[in-house]
This record gives sequence, structure tokens and C-alpha cells, in this order.
Amino acid sequence: MVRLKNRYLLVQFLYPSTDSASKPSKDVPALVEFHQPSPPTLTAAVLARAIRAETGYLFGDYGAGMTSGSLVVKYLSPATSTAIIRVTRAHYRLVWAALSFMTSVPGSGKPCVVHVVKVSGTIRKAEEEAIRRARNMVLRAKKQNQSGFNLDLLTESIPGSGDAGKESRIDPAAGVMDLDDEDEDEEGIGAGDSTDED
Amino acid sequence: MFYDLNVPWSADDPEVPRTLSFLHELGYNEVALTHTLSGKIPADVTCPIPKELPFSTPEDLTIHRRCTLVLSDPSQNHRLSALSNSYDILALRPTTDKCLQQACQTLECDLISLDLTVRHPFHFKFKTLSSALQRGIKFELCYSPGILAVDNNARRNLISNAIQIIRATRARGLVISSGATRSVGCRGPWDVINLAAVWGLGQEKGRDAVGREARSVVVAAQMKRRSYKGVIDVVDAGEKRAPKDQKNKKDGAQKRKADALQGGEAEAAKLAKPAPALSKREQKRQAKKAKLDATVGNNPIQQVTETAKG
Repeated sequence: MVRLKNRYLLVQFLYPSTDSASKPSKDVPALVEFHQPSPPTLTAAVLARAIRAETGYLFGDYGAGMTSGSLVVKYLSPATSTAIIRVTRAHYRLVWAALSFMTSVPGSGKPCVVHVVKVSGTIRKAEEEAIRRARNMVLRAKKQNQSGFNLDLLTESIPGSGDAGKESRIDPAAGVMDLDDEDEDEEGIGAGDSTDED
Repeated sequence: MFYDLNVPWSADDPEVPRTLSFLHELGYNEVALTHTLSGKIPADVTCPIPKELPFSTPEDLTIHRRCTLVLSDPSQNHRLSALSNSYDILALRPTTDKCLQQACQTLECDLISLDLTVRHPFHFKFKTLSSALQRGIKFELCYSPGILAVDNNARRNLISNAIQIIRATRARGLVISSGATRSVGCRGPWDVINLAAVWGLGQEKGRDAVGREARSVVVAAQMKRRSYKGVIDVVDAGEKRAPKDQKNKKDGAQKRKADALQGGEAEAAKLAKPAPALSKREQKRQAKKAKLDATVGNNPIQQVTETAKG
């Protein structure tokens, strides 16, 4: 039997603009501000519904129908503002475009930018990338931290923090496509929860 | 390398530093700040964007200064050479068919950036656009007005105009940039490439539109302004080598100085410690003596006096 081919989009919610109500102090590096936690109203169900609505809005009933059968939010961590979304391989670009056209967080009107950082054929690779990015994030935040806020506790638990710290930014030129369709075991998601702790 | 060649700039906009650091966060390496001129060109065409920006920007983000000139009257003399000398990149935004033709065929510029959110009353013809491409002028598509648009019409027009331009240029010489007035309107380079792919540009062409084509705009503009006849440019003039003698002399001086220092130190040591340094032989001899004494079982006072003597 032919297997269903999917793509897993690793997605980050970025917050480029400050809301005047809770304007953080100047000491917070821009990097930390962009990657702030998502509001608690953002849940997997809300996100899935919002993506369906946006796909329907942009591509009409055709787009919504083509993607909604396979569209699942596999993982969502509001703490790191990261999500993994599964969608059928034939139409993943429609969902990706719909994500690009989102301007606010589903569930609350907070302005945000949805950044697809990885397109993967297997959920495991998406998950590995999520962990790698979360780790890099903490190390970079520590590097830029000028306010003297104690982040040692965070970085202590990260293996290989010594050499990873040199890498200042994940190279975007390397591309986001990783299209190996090898196998897609669904067990990977249990381990995926560990990104929360990183 | 990813390029975003259109970030609107105004002197009192607090959003610009944020937008720049956000673009850097998204993965862009080079960004052009845009100053838009429309109507009659003022007598003083110096660039209002300072070379050293008044706020801190990310270190590895290169910033260019660009001017977008809105063309609406083909009979007007635009003094483009004066304009292009005071900016890094010069872009034209024709609003009428005549102006587009003029911009494509005669006017000296680096980029043609059409307003995609409005419905143009004319068709884009391959013949017109290809004459611009042959002169090395690229066409720009700005995606941000479509993302930030409140009404559907702007978004529809953006997509339809983008598709028409892609068709008329046969997907050659296209540059995609944000044109984002707010940082929320920026998207990551790969998100932009995907959008282009959905609009029918193809992934490879889309990759070129935020990378290679944009780079060629920047480099060609630089060549036009700095080089000799647009052909030869001095990239690195090299530096005059320091004469060899001088170097030796310097070394010699240092040596002498070091010698003097060492000598001084030695003298000071002599003054402080009257006992000279022990030779290896002497050390061995003393060690043997001490060992012998220890085996005999002498008192420690004698040992101390003996070592002090030695």
C-alpha cells in the first residue's frame, strides 16, 4: 500500500512590535523580545482552526478542502513559541503561504510574524531542529544579556554549550528544506515535548 | 546571502531600528533604507539618510541607502544623475504607461519598482520590460503591502500585478523585497520564496530574487557610482610596506631595552638576595649531605645551619 506523504513545518511565532501596555525595559535584548512566549490563549486546536480559516480565506474552498484533511498541529509549545504542523506533501505550500499571511496570534489580537524555519519529511528531523534552535536561542540570549540577569541555571543543563555558543546565528542560507521521506514514525512526538525544558 | 532592498525610512520613525534588527533576526544580510521622493525634485538632492545611523544596528547587517522616485510626468527633467550620486541605489516608480516606457528605455536607474497594490490601466509588455532587462535594470516586487493590507482589493491587485510582471519579464531579473512600513510586515527569506513559488515564480527563481538578482542590483549600482567607466573598480589599493631596516631597528631597540630591563632585574635580585644561585652540582651535593645526615639521625638545628652555610 502506498504511504501517505506528509510535510512537517516547524514554525516559530515572532513578536517584532512591542505592545504599549507591557513595554519591557530597555535592558531586554531585542532577540529575547522577538522570541517571547506566546499568550496562553494559543492552543493547538485554536491554531489549527486559524490555519484552516486563513487557508480558506486565501485559497477559497479549494485550498481549505485540499489541506484540511491532513492538517494537524502535532506539537505546540507556547513557552518557546514553537509549533510543528503536519500537512500533505501535495499542498504544503498553500498552508505555508497562509501562515505567511497571518499577522496576529490566533486566539488573541497580538501582532506576530509566523516564520517557517524548517520543512521536513519526517517529524524527527523537525523535532531535532526545534531542540537545536531552542538551545542556540538560550546561548545567544546569554551572550547578549547585558542586564546581569542570571541565566546560568538555564545554560548549565545544555550539553555542548561551549562550542554551540560560538555559532552566533543559525545560517539561513543553509535552507529550510529537508525533504527526506524516509520513514515517519509517529512515536517521535513524545520526545518532542522535551523542547519545552530546553 | 539574503537581501531586502526596500525598508521605508523616515527620520522620526521609531520603528526603523526595530525593523532592521528584526530583518537581521529573520536571516537577512543586506538591507536598503528607502527614501521616497515624489512630484518635483527639490533643489537640494543630498541624501537625508545619514551614513552613520543614529541608532545601533546589528553588526553583520549591511545597510544601503536608496531613493525611490515616483514618476508621473514623462516630460519632466528628473536630474537623475544628481540623485543617483547621492544615494547608493536609485529606484523608479512609474505610474503611467508613458513613464514606464521611458524608465525602461532611457532613464538611468538601477531598479524599477511598480506599485503593486493598485490596478494599473495598462498591460506590461514583454517588449518594454525586456529593454530594461537588457540594460541591466531589475524589477522589484514588494510583498508587504499585500500582507498588511486591510482590504482584499490591495491583496488581489498585488497578486495579479506580480503574476503579470512575472509573465511579462519571463521570470527574469526580478527582485523581491518587503517594503514594510511596520516590522510586522516583514517575512523570512524562505517564506518569501514560498510565496513566490505559490505565485508561479518557481523556487529557484524565487531564491535568486532575494539573493543573486538583488546582489547584482547592489553591485551594479556600486560599479556605476564608484568605478572608472563602469568597468574598473579599485577594491583594495593595498598598503605601503614598512621598510625592512626600520623594522630591524625597532627590533634591535626592543632587544636592548629588554636587555637593560633584564640586567636591572638581575642587579635588584642580587641586592635583595646575597646568596648566589646554586649550581646543579652543588644542589646534588647538598641533597646527598642532607640524606646522609638524616640517616645518621642528627638534630634539625644542625641541618639548618649547614644549609645556610652552603
